[in-house]
Amino acid sequence: MYAVAQVDISICSATSCRLCTQYCPEANTILYDNKRKTAYIAVDRCKGCELCVGICDNIAKHRAIKMVPVTDVHDGFEMSKYGFPRNGR
Amino acid sequence: MSLATLKVAPGFMPYMPKEYQDLVEKGPYGRQVKVSELGTFKEILEEHPMCAGCAMTLFIRLSMIGFPNPEHTIILGTAGCGRLALTQASIPFVYGNYCDTNAVASGLKRGLEIRFPNQKKDVVVMAGDGGLADIGFAHVMHSWFRKEKFTTIMLDNEVYGNTGGQESGMTQKGMVMKMAPLGKRFEKMDMLGLAKTAGVAYIARIAPTNPNRVVSTVRKAVMVAREIGPSFIQAYTSCNIEYAIPTPKVLDDARQVEKDRYGFLEIMTDEAKAYLEQIEPKKGAKAKEVAE
Repeated sequence: MYAVAQVDISICSATSCRLCTQYCPEANTILYDNKRKTAYIAVDRCKGCELCVGICDNIAKHRAIKMVPVTDVHDGFEMSKYGFPRNGR
Repeated sequence: MSLATLKVAPGFMPYMPKEYQDLVEKGPYGRQVKVSELGTFKEILEEHPMCAGCAMTLFIRLSMIGFPNPEHTIILGTAGCGRLALTQASIPFVYGNYCDTNAVASGLKRGLEIRFPNQKKDVVVMAGDGGLADIGFAHVMHSWFRKEKFTTIMLDNEVYGNTGGQESGMTQKGMVMKMAPLGKRFEKMDMLGLAKTAGVAYIARIAPTNPNRVVSTVRKAVMVAREIGPSFIQAYTSCNIEYAIPTPKVLDDARQVEKDRYGFLEIMTDEAKAYLEQIEPKKGAKAKEVAE
């Protein structure tokens, strides 16, 4: 069992900072939905490094990203299942 | 050009891997993507086996956004951590033997110039501090003396990361590593000074704390290498395993090191400066022209 990042959409959609998408070391792991105006995580790609949590808490000061056990993630987006999202999620 | 090189015959498309289809439909080809667009397009870099929270991967990911023409770029690398991510991208990757990256790049660049006289092809060497400053040192220096037109990017993690933590020429003096228990006895090599002496046209030192700056620096280095001469980027990409940096603190460490001894630095020749000033205002127009 390991932890993955989870974005609180209600906090994230109120801002438009997009910083976490720029600092994640994994490719296409923190995705951005232009319709809902929020970042979201490709659960199967997240390695749980918490870099985005540091960025969101300390640089952006939004505190929208939390680490949660992967078994607690329901309805998470999985890139390997759906491929790259075509029109938002 | 650009995207056309990637497309397969329509009948084959449904049988291509999902990642490939995504790349054709949502890839960054034919336009200059911005850092702020990250997360909305399919990146050139794919899933890779690098450690969680690795700053080197962050740098590699950002520099792939920085390449002005990823579809006309070839990356060279050698044994080391970096190639684990570099090989997982839709950019051709040439795996040099240890030490000969810059010699291979010289030949490749010259060959590409003859084979494709009407299309600029970019050659980028991306290897670690061990591959470039220790084992490949002679080849690196001579490619600079010969003024070979390609970019050399050093992923400086200041240690031999994936062989267990031996000291490299770029390790700080006094640093105690797992495989260097007495601490390093010599100073960190001054590769920037050596590059300047060798007459490299564009030299930069950077830490991946500012994504926009990484992208623009890589872009400048590649553009200078197209027209003027060799370019060199020395990037601080900490090894959070060997230096025991907890992953949430990786960027704090990068910021601290940048503040202490790794501040952003650009050294360029007058010729390179004039060229960059000339292309800077019409960057958008240039990208459009290249894409056509």
